[in-house]
Amino acid sequence: MSEDALQYDAIVIGAGHNGLVSAGYLAKAGKTVVVLDAAEFVGGAARTAEISPDYQVSTAAHLVSSFPRRVEKDLKLSKHGLSWATKDMATVALDRDGKHITLSSGGKNDLMKIAAHAARDGDAWKQFDARMRKYVKLLAPLLEGPMPQTGKDAPSRLATMMALRLEKLGPKDLRAFMQLMPSSVAALLDRNFEGDLIKGALSLDATLGNHAGPHTPGTGFSLVYKRALEAMGQGVGYPVGGTGALTEALATSAEAAGVRIRLESPVNQIIIEDGRTKGVRLEDGTVFEAPLVMSSADPKTTCLDLVGARHFEAPVATHLSRIRMEGATAKVNLALEGLPTFKNFTDKEYGGRLLIAPDMGTVERSFTAAKRGELTLEPVMELVIPSYHDPRLAPMGHHVMSIVLPNMPYEINGGWEAQRDMLMKRVIDTVREYAPDISHKIIAGELLTPPELEESFGMSGAHWHQGNMSFDQLLAFRPAPGMANYGGAVDGLYLCGAGSHPGGGLSGLPGKFAAETALAREKSK
Amino acid sequence: MTDRQDDQALADAAIDVSRDSPLNGAGVAPDPAWFEQSVVEEPFSRHVLTTPLHLDVAAESRTNRWVDWSGYTVADVYTSVDQEYDALRTRAALSDISPLIKYRVSGREAVPFLNRLLTRSVETLNIDRAARAILCAGDGNIITQGMLFRLAEEEFRLVVRSSHLDWLEQSAIGFDVRVEDVSGTIAGLSLAGPAAAKVLAAAGMEKPEALSKGEARWEQLGGMPTYVSRTGMMGGTEYELWTDPSDASVLWRRLLDAGRTQGIRPVGAAARDVARLENGVALEGVDYQSALTAFDSADTRTPYDLSLGGLVDLERTVFNGQKSLSRVADRGSASVLVGLELALAEGAPIGPVCMEESRVGQVKSHAWSPSLQCVVALAVIEASALGASDGFTVETAGSSRQPVKLAKRPFLRFS
Repeated sequence: MSEDALQYDAIVIGAGHNGLVSAGYLAKAGKTVVVLDAAEFVGGAARTAEISPDYQVSTAAHLVSSFPRRVEKDLKLSKHGLSWATKDMATVALDRDGKHITLSSGGKNDLMKIAAHAARDGDAWKQFDARMRKYVKLLAPLLEGPMPQTGKDAPSRLATMMALRLEKLGPKDLRAFMQLMPSSVAALLDRNFEGDLIKGALSLDATLGNHAGPHTPGTGFSLVYKRALEAMGQGVGYPVGGTGALTEALATSAEAAGVRIRLESPVNQIIIEDGRTKGVRLEDGTVFEAPLVMSSADPKTTCLDLVGARHFEAPVATHLSRIRMEGATAKVNLALEGLPTFKNFTDKEYGGRLLIAPDMGTVERSFTAAKRGELTLEPVMELVIPSYHDPRLAPMGHHVMSIVLPNMPYEINGGWEAQRDMLMKRVIDTVREYAPDISHKIIAGELLTPPELEESFGMSGAHWHQGNMSFDQLLAFRPAPGMANYGGAVDGLYLCGAGSHPGGGLSGLPGKFAAETALAREKSK
Repeated sequence: MTDRQDDQALADAAIDVSRDSPLNGAGVAPDPAWFEQSVVEEPFSRHVLTTPLHLDVAAESRTNRWVDWSGYTVADVYTSVDQEYDALRTRAALSDISPLIKYRVSGREAVPFLNRLLTRSVETLNIDRAARAILCAGDGNIITQGMLFRLAEEEFRLVVRSSHLDWLEQSAIGFDVRVEDVSGTIAGLSLAGPAAAKVLAAAGMEKPEALSKGEARWEQLGGMPTYVSRTGMMGGTEYELWTDPSDASVLWRRLLDAGRTQGIRPVGAAARDVARLENGVALEGVDYQSALTAFDSADTRTPYDLSLGGLVDLERTVFNGQKSLSRVADRGSASVLVGLELALAEGAPIGPVCMEESRVGQVKSHAWSPSLQCVVALAVIEASALGASDGFTVETAGSSRQPVKLAKRPFLRFS
């Protein structure tokens, strides 16, 4: 296909991981595909860039937790440069007094550390973790493919499938699951644990990236769902070269399959003619034509801005406009002159996924502050030192630290310009409580406020998942009721981003399922 | 007077009461419970809204019979239904139609907005013209019906039976359009009957007969700016006059004065309903329920069910209900609204519609048509039973079956 061709079998909007996965599968099926992205680089939110010369970090998304082996194999990613620095980062809840705990599945040492906070919690964690595994198995078949949508009996087929699996749980676990469904994660954890630290860490996990606090109803289910999504992947991992290396590999693989990737090509409009997609128009007026348009932009932007509400019947447009996506995130990346000293840290812990959430109250307060458009006094965070696994990210002996700050207000009182220094200060102050020498190690740093993340990565509202991942917006309700089949309302348009089933989290699954749905539908015609 | 005399007088009085009173109390004092209001007021049954014409209407009412219309109190009968019907069909009839819901739709994208809102494209609608408008929900059932007036290139007035601002606002997402409920700022008068044009001419309108059906124009009637349209749903010659509420009362009296020699009468809702039925028009809330407010979805109807398929244009860009309606168009309606003529006495109660032994439908509204000298009715019948053109009966009082015949709508035709 020549460089300046304007006609393709399929157009993919967005060169993030989901867009590239979609493009890869379409090309594999023999389609000519063009991927259009507004940015200068591929990768979307999964991109590696420099904080300052020689210090590289995954600028936005910093962990790969749900990327399936299947996709990696299908698209031959290892052949195209993907290798993993680690695939089993432990989740570590940081304690101010150095009594850190690791949320693994049942190492004796880890259980003892949990029990050091509250004697009963060691056993409780073992049971809790086992039960969570059962729930994950229950949900797994729902995440292995698109939601069953076709045919009038789809809902009842789904119900039968679920009923059978629920029955298998046994009466005791079933009761616990039913109780969990509407629960807040706070209620769930209070029923199971005593220690503040373990509850704080798990409640942060349950709400990360969403506009929710531990006491928000339904967050108990969010915790299960997050684990189910992770079970689709290969463990919490970090690719050599950061998350950007994953999307680089996806891009190389796609290009090898004949996909054309055109950057700096912001799409302005999806052209609809006679109720069918015809192509897209770029901001500079260039028109690309294709009968198939896959958009990895979020569903609201895709349908209401790029297509336009007028191309949907009013009830559909209303559903779309009501998708909740207010959870904004901020990001801090630091270049460090040497490894900061965390009290009582072992090697494994330095290479872990570190959570700063001393108790549920702190997590809840950060949510409350976000609701009020304020800066929380004590930010909660997910923190990694990727250079620990992948030394090439920084000069010899130096390190980079990547910090995700959930539940930040998108619009802050006084404006972000006035508040950004304060946020940076509070983040460093908080980290200093655990690693007292952090301030001496910082060489350079960057803060990306929610509006900046939105601007540089095209994430509407700086929402990491393109829509809250709560039960009312998951499974058959993602992105909106009646739209869980990746398209539906307009012929030839498919939503292949995190806003679609099964959701966010660098899994590539929405991209895969959307491509498969599009191909299957074309075949059935 | 002594106590004894006093008692005697009281006893006499009691006997008097028992003799003359219809309350056959036989000397027993009337039980106060008899006089207590026993009817419990239904929720929302008290309507306090009045139209700008209320005082004028009340002055004409000889019966004090009122009826609720969208929460407004309007006259049901002024003198008698027969007299009013007679005026409506043979002379001229003036009515207050202010309770109709009016929306002003304006802005750069008013046309695309309405194209998506209604079942038909509005592009071809000229300025100062009105067209029938149907709003459908996502499932293809009718939300409400009415008339759409094009006032200017980018300004429309949608006049409908029931209030659905919420639906309009939802439908406006993504359009550069302004939707306002202007019901309170526009009074409506209906002038109908063979002499209507003469009345309008006498009231100061130039060549009212030149106004063709569905056409409208601004007029100065006695200095009052009035938008006169040749619209209505009763059949025959009909005009509707839209004016400022502060002018409405003067306009009402001016029309009554101008029509005196033509025998004009104020006509209430009861007679208008007979005329509406004769014209075969299905009424929201009576013959079908709005898709957004129906308690039972079985009472909702698609345009096809009401034989209004001609007002649905499926072959165009997206509009509300398009997907569902194209399915109905392919598959056909499950049940349809038909017109029935019954050789029954006036006022006889009517039961379900039957075919041989089985019930196949239900009469939704019916009335004695003085012009046709029979009962006309609108009934919803299962489409599968419609293969036969006769053999239908209705159950009447005393469980006797009366044969009925399907009739084309409108029942009453005007040359």
